[in-house]
This record gives sequence, structure tokens and C-alpha cells, in this order.
Amino acid sequence: MTDPFTLAILLIVALTVTGLPVGLAVMSGSFLYMLFKGYDPSLATESLLQGLFNGYTLLAIPLFILAADIMNVGSLTDRLLRFCQALVGRFRGGLGQVNVVSSVIFSGMSGSAVADAVGMGKIIIGMMTKDGRYTKSYAAAITAATATIGPIIPPSIPMVLYALVSEQSVGFLFAAGLLPGLLMALSMGVMNWIIALRRDFPVDDTVPLRDLPRLTAEAVPALMLPVILLGGIYGGVMSPTEAAAVAALYALLVSVFFYRSVSVPQFYHALLGSARSTAAVGVLIAGALTFDYVIAREQLPKTIAAWMDTMDLTVLGFLLFVNILLLVLGCLLEGGVILLIIVPILLPAAAALGIDLVHFGVIVVVNSMIGLITPPYGLLLFITANITKEPVGRIIRDIVPFIVALLVALAIITLSEDFVLFLPRLMGYEG
Amino acid sequence: MNGLTTTIHWLRARAENVIALLLLSMFVTFLLQILFRRVLGWSVGWTVEWVTIAWLWGILLGYAFVVKESEVIRLDIVYSAVSRPWRRAFDVFSGLVCAAIFIITMPAAVDYITFMAREKTAYLRWPFHLVFSIYVAFALSVIARSLFTAWRGFSGTGPHAAPSAESHDYD
Repeated sequence: MTDPFTLAILLIVALTVTGLPVGLAVMSGSFLYMLFKGYDPSLATESLLQGLFNGYTLLAIPLFILAADIMNVGSLTDRLLRFCQALVGRFRGGLGQVNVVSSVIFSGMSGSAVADAVGMGKIIIGMMTKDGRYTKSYAAAITAATATIGPIIPPSIPMVLYALVSEQSVGFLFAAGLLPGLLMALSMGVMNWIIALRRDFPVDDTVPLRDLPRLTAEAVPALMLPVILLGGIYGGVMSPTEAAAVAALYALLVSVFFYRSVSVPQFYHALLGSARSTAAVGVLIAGALTFDYVIAREQLPKTIAAWMDTMDLTVLGFLLFVNILLLVLGCLLEGGVILLIIVPILLPAAAALGIDLVHFGVIVVVNSMIGLITPPYGLLLFITANITKEPVGRIIRDIVPFIVALLVALAIITLSEDFVLFLPRLMGYEG
Repeated sequence: MNGLTTTIHWLRARAENVIALLLLSMFVTFLLQILFRRVLGWSVGWTVEWVTIAWLWGILLGYAFVVKESEVIRLDIVYSAVSRPWRRAFDVFSGLVCAAIFIITMPAAVDYITFMAREKTAYLRWPFHLVFSIYVAFALSVIARSLFTAWRGFSGTGPHAAPSAESHDYD
């Protein structure tokens, strides 16, 4: 028990449980480790400051947050939804499918599940619950569930966080997320279809086909954003970080000139809101950077690799263990905490087993996103509960089938490295 | 007391202006960088340096003076489940431990930052101790806020705010 590393971990847990912000708890634990080891604690401070100062890739985070905030202030989101309704709203449970498809498109523009739920949530839930066509809890559940696709289909803030801790390429991670994201969408679309048949959901008013060209034309500026982003990154025109700035600029220009919907005070508000979120997640990153120093100093990778040797664990056994662990932790922690604090402890083991770290990244990010909808602590549940004013308990009952659908997708993603790495390999990834 | 509250509000509003401007400057600098590098083919270094400095300052300054209790990332599950006396005990414990650790490590951090005065950033040639000085403000704010949390627990003047999930748009 007197081992400083164990003490540091215990202190981090104790401070987190007693309500201290997680970033500060991790910093406190790391500092305590330095003090007990007799090391100069400023080495951890140095790791924090130099890590932030040299974390150029991380700059994509504030800019992707800003881009999503601008899209939500402007009416980009609005137009997209109307387009999706015209496209897939004509089937049984159609608005549920609209929810899935619009999440996929929105995912290609924003890198955050929370931004997706906040941005589209209000409008799509309003559409679904109008005239009592769907129950509020079902609308809330499917909105929360489909928002998890957001950071799987590129761009993605959680993938940038994973790139930081794993030293993998953001570009390849982004590419690796595309097919798994579509698979998740497919699994939820099928689940919605099954539920619509069983609960006999109404067939929605269909948008006349003659309106489709006009609605498409109106949505084109918004639909172009994913094309520009991915084209720019993979065409080698810009880095993922620069792409984030371009996304924000594009959202701003389209909103101002095409849809005429963003005022100067609204823009300031978006800037300030994004800066606040950045500071909140930034301190978590800062905590992770001090902890990173402790992990390196403790030679944890070596210890874990040696331990893995004695355990005789298979790749499959390990991945199963990781999935269960992260799903359990995901019920309690938010995605950022899992990616920045828990995953660095698992990475050396994954590497020792020869697991491809881009594939592993997709697995852990999907896990941390499922964690956003698993009770008791699921950010997306809170958001949609807040929009609908439904008790979280009722939403949970309706979200269980979607969690099952996502777990099926997760199993396929975990088992099939070739599926996940198909696109990255096509782009020259050697793994 | 009223004067103090007004001053604090005024200062917080100015800090808000600063972090919003820092983000705006990052945004604009990135666009300039794309223009310089990709369109005009110039090699520029100051843009990278400025955005990383703005990022560092935006986080530490923003956390110190702008981010509200309801926006920070914390695990609320146990805290919100226990009774009020327990919460007060939690606040006293977490506040005092965090404040103590930051106070104890403060001199070493200040030493490191002053030591960095001899190094300058690569392009803008700014001394590093100025770039890193914001850490001191951050640590002081952490200490003050932690002591306040402990005091609130001790005196029983209310628990911390419930978190608002919407502000977590990085997940």
C-alpha cells in the first residue's frame, strides 16, 4: 500500500468520487506521486505546459467545437433535417430513419456527439412528437442513440484525443471511423424498423417528390461541408487541424451569406461558448499530460508488457476484457475521461499483443460513445431528457434496444480488423 | 462586499472577452496559415506558435476565470447520491487536499517557469517564462476555488452546482 503509484491512483479515485473536477483530481494525484517519489514536482508541471504548447494536433478541438456551434446557431441543421425528411421520411417509422440519416450527415460535419444531440435534438424531437406520433421517450432515446455516430464518422474530437495518447495519425484514425460509423447507423436503422413494425408506428406524411429538388438545393451548401472536409484532408490539401478551421469558416460563410442567419452577437456567443468548452476539456487534457509523465516514469508500459506475458492472454480475450471494462466504466465516466486517463493504461498492453492501434482506437472510441448513452451517467441521456422534460428512467427503457444494436455493431468492429482498416489501407496505411 | 462582487463580475466579463478573442485569433491565424502555406506557398512559422500560445492561455485563463462550476468535468454520481452532511464532508476533503497539493507544488512550478526565462520561442522570440506565466494564475485560482469549496462544506453554505451536459460538446 505504500507504493507511491498506488497511492496516487487511490487519491485520484478518492478526489474524483468526492466531487473534485476530474482534471484537477488527476493533477493532484500526479503531483502527490512526484512528492512521494522525491522527484521535483515541476517535472509534472513541465509535462503539462510543454504538452499543451506542443500539442498542435489538439488545436482541432476548439475549432471543431466552434464549427458545430456556428452550424447550430445558423439554420444549417434545420435545412439538413428537412432534406432528410424528404428523403427517408416516407417509410414506416420514417422520422426515426430521418433521425438516423441526419445523424450520419451531421457526423460528417461535426466531431462531437453532444453537439449533434444539442444541435439536432430539439428540432427532430419536436418533429417526432408533434401530434403525439411518437412518444417523447422514444424520440429522446433514438436521438441520443444516433448522436453516438457523431465522433465515429470523421471529423471527430474523441479521435483527436486518442491520437494524442496513442501517437497515431489523426488522418488514418478519421478514415478508419467511416465504415464503422455507417455500420452503427445501419444497425440502428434496422432496430428502428423492427420497433416501428412491432409498436405499429404511424407512416408519416410524405413530402411530395416534386419538392425534393428544391429541398436538396437548399441543403446542398450544408451537404458540401463533409465533402470539402474529407476531400481536403485526404487530398493532401490541408491537415486535419487546418480542416477544422476551414469547417468553421465554411459554416460561418454559409450561415451568413446563404441562409442569412448568424448575427454578430450570435457569433460572439458561439465563440465564447466554444472557448468555455475548450477550457473545460483542456484542463482534463492538462491532467492527462501530468499523468502521462507519471506513467512514463513508472515504466508502466514495460510492467504491463511483462505482466501480459505471464497472463498468456489471447488478442480476443484481451479485446473482450477491454470492451467489458470500458462499457462498465462508460456507465460512470464521460468519453473524454476514458480516452485520456483510462486508455493510456490499456495501450501498452494492446501494443504488446500486436493489436493494431488504429483499429484499437476505433474500438475504444465506439465504446466511449456507447458510454454516453448508458445509465446512470450518460451525457446524451441528460441532454435529450432536458429537451423533452421526460424522466431519464423512461428514456432508458426505450434506449435499451438501441444499445443492443450498437453492441452488435461493436462486436463486428472488434472482430473485424480488415473491415475497420479497409479505408486507411486504401490510403496507404501500413498496418 | 457589494463593490467586491461588482469588481469580480466586471473582471469575469473581461476574461470572457479575452478568451473569446483568443479563440477568434486562433481561427483567423489558421485561415491565414492556410492562405500562406497552401495558396501562396510561403513557409510560415509564427502562425503555429501563435495558435499554440492562444490555446495554452485560452485553457488556463479560461479555467481560472471563466469556466463555471456547472461546466467542469466531474463525476457526480456518488456526490449527488449521498446525504447533505456527506456532501459537506466531501467538499471539505476534496477542497483541502487539492488546495494543499497545489500550494506545496507551487514554489517548484514558479522556479521552473522563472528558469524558462532563458529560452525563447522559435519564431516570435518571446521568452518562455512569459508564455508559461499563466500557469501561476491558473494554480492560484485552483487554490482559491478549492479553499472556497472546503469553506462552503465547512460552513454549510450550499453544494456545488449541478452539471449542465450541453456544455460538454467535445464528447
